[in-house]
Amino acid sequence: MAPKELSIAITGAGGAGVISVGELLLQAWAREGGRGLLRKAFGPQIRGGESAALLKLTETERYTAASEYNVLLAFDWNNFARFGDEICLSPGAVVICEDAGDIPAEVMAVEPRLIRLPMSKLAAATHADGRVNMFALGLLGQLLGLTADSLEQLARQKLINKPESYREAAGACIQSGVAQTLSCEVSVPDCGTKGGWYLSGNQAAGLGALEAGIRFVAAYPITPASDVLEWMAGGLEALGGNLVQAEDELAAINMIIGAAFGGVPSFTATSGPGLALMTESIGLAVASETPITILNVMRGGPSTGIPTKSEQSDLNIALHGLHGDAPHLVLAPLDIADCVYTSAWAVHLAQGLQTAAIVLSDQFIGQSTAVVSEPERCDPLVVAEQANDNDYLRYRLTDSGVSTLAAPGDADQRFTADGLEHNEKGTPSARDDDHQLQLAKRSRKLTEHDYGDAWARIEGEGEVALVGFGSASAAIAEAAELLAEQGIAARTISLRLIAPLQQQKLQAALDGCDSAFVIEQNHGGQLFHYLRGMMDFSQPLHRYSRAGPLPLSGKAIAAAVIQESRS
Amino acid sequence: MNQIASAKPKDYKSAVKPIWCPGCGHFSVLNAITKAFAGLGIDKDDTVLVSGIGCSSRLPAYVDSYGFHGVHGRGLAIAQGLKVARPDLTVIALGGDGDGFSIGGNHFIHACRRNVNMTYIAMDNEVYGMTKGQASPTTAADWDHSKLTPHGPGVRPFKPAALALASGAPWIARGYSGNPNQMARLIAEAIEHPGFSFVHVLSQCITFCPEQTDWKAVVNERDEPALADADEAARMFLHENGFQTGVLYNAARSVWPPEQVELQSADITEGFRL
Amino acid sequence: MSNQQLGDFLAHSVELESEARERYLELAEAMTGHHNTEVAEFFGRMAEESRLHLKEVAEIAEGKALPDLKAWEFDWPEEESPETASYEAVHYRMSLRQAMLLALGNERAAEKFYRSFADSSTDEETRRLAAQFSAEEASHAAQLVKMLGKLPPDENHHLEEDDDPHMPE
Repeated sequence: MAPKELSIAITGAGGAGVISVGELLLQAWAREGGRGLLRKAFGPQIRGGESAALLKLTETERYTAASEYNVLLAFDWNNFARFGDEICLSPGAVVICEDAGDIPAEVMAVEPRLIRLPMSKLAAATHADGRVNMFALGLLGQLLGLTADSLEQLARQKLINKPESYREAAGACIQSGVAQTLSCEVSVPDCGTKGGWYLSGNQAAGLGALEAGIRFVAAYPITPASDVLEWMAGGLEALGGNLVQAEDELAAINMIIGAAFGGVPSFTATSGPGLALMTESIGLAVASETPITILNVMRGGPSTGIPTKSEQSDLNIALHGLHGDAPHLVLAPLDIADCVYTSAWAVHLAQGLQTAAIVLSDQFIGQSTAVVSEPERCDPLVVAEQANDNDYLRYRLTDSGVSTLAAPGDADQRFTADGLEHNEKGTPSARDDDHQLQLAKRSRKLTEHDYGDAWARIEGEGEVALVGFGSASAAIAEAAELLAEQGIAARTISLRLIAPLQQQKLQAALDGCDSAFVIEQNHGGQLFHYLRGMMDFSQPLHRYSRAGPLPLSGKAIAAAVIQESRS
Repeated sequence: MNQIASAKPKDYKSAVKPIWCPGCGHFSVLNAITKAFAGLGIDKDDTVLVSGIGCSSRLPAYVDSYGFHGVHGRGLAIAQGLKVARPDLTVIALGGDGDGFSIGGNHFIHACRRNVNMTYIAMDNEVYGMTKGQASPTTAADWDHSKLTPHGPGVRPFKPAALALASGAPWIARGYSGNPNQMARLIAEAIEHPGFSFVHVLSQCITFCPEQTDWKAVVNERDEPALADADEAARMFLHENGFQTGVLYNAARSVWPPEQVELQSADITEGFRL
Repeated sequence: MSNQQLGDFLAHSVELESEARERYLELAEAMTGHHNTEVAEFFGRMAEESRLHLKEVAEIAEGKALPDLKAWEFDWPEEESPETASYEAVHYRMSLRQAMLLALGNERAAEKFYRSFADSSTDEETRRLAAQFSAEEASHAAQLVKMLGKLPPDENHHLEEDDDPHMPE
């Protein structure tokens, strides 16, 4: 019987081309209709340090980090220990490595099935420019039952800008690797339908934003959000928009506010430290009712924290980081593919409700690449605006709270947008009535909007509820499956819209549950405390919060739930 | 579109009345802006004034165009984003010395360097007015009128024109609140200059720096044409007394962003399909 | 040639009076906002006088070809048009006497400006009108002097106040 999943770790020193092997292997696998996830792990060096490509081939598109690896291909054993807590090998794992040198004791401890080959020599013997990584790609391809031609074609495509001799060498090494006689086999998961997409969460978020109409981006480079911007730079050029690399996050957020004021849907992407710098001006967007969307790809914090690893610890600042009463939107993608939908929904909501939307992605979702079915798209929003009377009042007090937003160039609707409290016309005012009315207006337009069913993804009907967001969504789904094996029926509720919280809908989703667990990747239980503060629960609410850098584990969550239900 | 064929300066004023102290130089800047607009016959609907926070940053509300009164120090960033996204608009950022050279200093030097086609008017009165008269980055080292720095700030003031030049600004002028007609001409030329144009305005603060009424005696209009050579300009800006007015520096530099190339492909999903 | 002289002169006259009026209005508004009612009312009256004078000048200019000058293209003896009170010459606590002295200076500058045309223009009509306007300014000035004479002296008037300035932002 085919296994549900097969995980492969490829490690080596910088320059070995580890990541390329992972990418090409997953792409070739995906071409056959296979599903899988690729994560990348690096040492702290920019170049030359150790890197790891972590693949998980699966039956479904529910992507969590592998809890153990069934195959390890190690180009060398230098600093392998640095990945010690991230790469656990399964008992009897297949380990492919050079035929010389000592294998670390922790690897030998799982009693691996060893494939020891003089990989470098064989690659060099195959072609004068032969590279060991392409040879290794051939070996792994053979294990997965992929054809040499498919791998070679993908490799040639990837190396399109290199000299022909380089591509030739790659092809020859792949062919040679596939042709080797290997001493053991592995069984692979079943493939699904062909024609999937191959993309990272960061790319998906950028795509959703552009498809929703974003035509201006300003941002400051920050890990792990920079690749959103790199992808969008190309996309915007194709669509006729602009991207400005700003001098800092303070400039970035204000540039998008300026462009949005000009009527051009605008967006920025950042991570925790950048979001912290932006918060004053997000308040300006809220007060001046200028629509903007901010993608925050969360990493380990506080301060510089662990920039390359995932965490969900920016929820507090996203929800509560603005000064004054500043109602705004906070959303989170459910998974890599859903970044397209959630990012687009955030843009539509921000534009329609004339406010700031913060999308909380995380490093796991953002920087992992996955094979997915064509992502679902989000329809534009229908927002009832005020009747466009002749006496244009920018901040008119309407029933919905939404007032007509003119842009420069519109005839005779001139106004000055203001971060100072103002009256309906926009004139600065410190009057009590203006402040009360405008605060209520800005709050009303968010609370009165009908968000429909998109606020969460609810699965299962068990008596135990697992509630999470972002990359916790896949982890709680995995946990629910493991719980079911133990006879505990669990339902999962993954929040896509975190603020404004849909209390009644969440209450209804929890109906019939004996207990609920809030699952999140941070130390303080930020979502747990938020939910507790926002509503009353008719069942006991438990928390499972574990900070990064290790991804949330379905197994650990299931164990925590079982322990709690027994106590 | 709202082209005014023979518009008068007062037609560009909004109904909102300034909160500035009578005697404040900023009235004169407002006057000069409306005169420049009238002189150029500028379209109110296609013009945006953007500001940060401070006395001078209140100005957009007093002009009958589109406006954005943002947060402290960030007016230049808002203005650049707006202009890049909407190159069809006339965009003018303005604010004070604290807003522009202290909290917004990074945006100032990068705006000079970036050279987006817009105008920046810095209304310099060497003091923070809205917070009760503290020293700013252009205050003299020995100015001891603030309780916050009872012995004076004790550090050298910025020379805004030199800072602008060193940061790459291609067009630098200086005006004086005592001469709104000249300032109007400078602002009109700044708006017409293709690129980032910086108008440094000496604008007196009657409340916290009443001694600035003495500026009248030292301000002088520069007779020579604007310098085009950066070396010469650097010498001038480092050694001048800071009271000469006129267009001081004018060098040709390519504007950012360059005009967009023809669109090639609009299928942005192509790269994701296997 | 003479038409151009007359046109230039009238263009300057219209600008002088309308600038004077607008500035007085602006200063009156600013003084109102700062609760200096006495001075605000005085500037308001001066604005009204300028309006009447502007009306008169505009009627004379009606139908004549006036050059369309931008604000910085006028040729004034000083930085601003002669009857315009400098923004920087006022203070929110200025006394009525100080305001009247400021206005007197403006009237005299305007009188002097018009008289220079009356003395030196080679165009007869320009000389005639300039003399007329100059006389009108002189009579305004005389009225102001009279009013000043009746005004009690400023006793114990200080521009400074006891309270510290406010912190609006």
